[in-house]
Amino acid sequence: MAMTLTIERVMAFMGLDVLVARDEGLFAAEGLDLRIAALPADEIRSAAEGSPAKPTTNQGKLQARGESQMFQA
Amino acid sequence: MIVCGALVVAPGSTIFTPQELAHKLVALDYGNGTAYAGLQMLEGAMPREAVTTCAAATSPAERFAGVMRGDFAATVLQEPWITVAEKAGCRLVSTTFFHGTWVATPDVGPDAYAALLRGITNAVHRINADKRRYVSYFMRDWAGHPEVDALRPDDFNLGRIQLKEPTAIPEHEARWAWEWMASWGLIDGAFDLTAQIDRRLEREAHELA
Repeated sequence: MAMTLTIERVMAFMGLDVLVARDEGLFAAEGLDLRIAALPADEIRSAAEGSPAKPTTNQGKLQARGESQMFQA
Repeated sequence: MIVCGALVVAPGSTIFTPQELAHKLVALDYGNGTAYAGLQMLEGAMPREAVTTCAAATSPAERFAGVMRGDFAATVLQEPWITVAEKAGCRLVSTTFFHGTWVATPDVGPDAYAALLRGITNAVHRINADKRRYVSYFMRDWAGHPEVDALRPDDFNLGRIQLKEPTAIPEHEARWAWEWMASWGLIDGAFDLTAQIDRRLEREAHELA
């Protein structure tokens, strides 16, 4: 049975390797069912709302509520 | 994956060096790696009190539009927007590279993490063998933006696309990053390696990979 891992959405600038591995079946070849979860659009907030000490970031939101196991910071 | 961040000024800007950004407004997407990279590029060129920043959108498309409008003197962009900016005549006054870091919940086991590492390692080899083939991924993320749709694979500077096999996080680098962030008031408390990195899981996964 394949192992399952859910990560938060990555974009090419910081996750090209992950996207290529998923698209070309490299995770599947390792027995890993990698799932990529995206934050609903209406929950995405802009960094423009934050400050240096209190930034507004979308990273980790899904993990915080148990909907992903990993995210890239 | 190694992320490239570039400090970008508008085509007509009189600024050619990061030093010339002293006391000039630089837009940063606080809380993201690109913003921290921007701070590091600026503080390497001037006293901290001369670093002047404002909050900017997470979207590099909006930051690019802002620098073109003259809303601020500079911003930090990542690909494909660095390439878009260069095509528009913008200048890069500094570039830097940094690691993305995975944050995992405690229930991620060594077997699954090792499989993730193996998949990524194999992808790194494929991409490094033919980077040009894969630049479409940068464009795909921003499809529908005319500036990005106008890009061609040959427009990309492949030197900015750097990938390496995943490795364990060196303790001194984790400590430096923590202490640097604390020095800017971006994080509280003392660095605690055991609270930040599960060395047992990391070691087991890398051995399995």
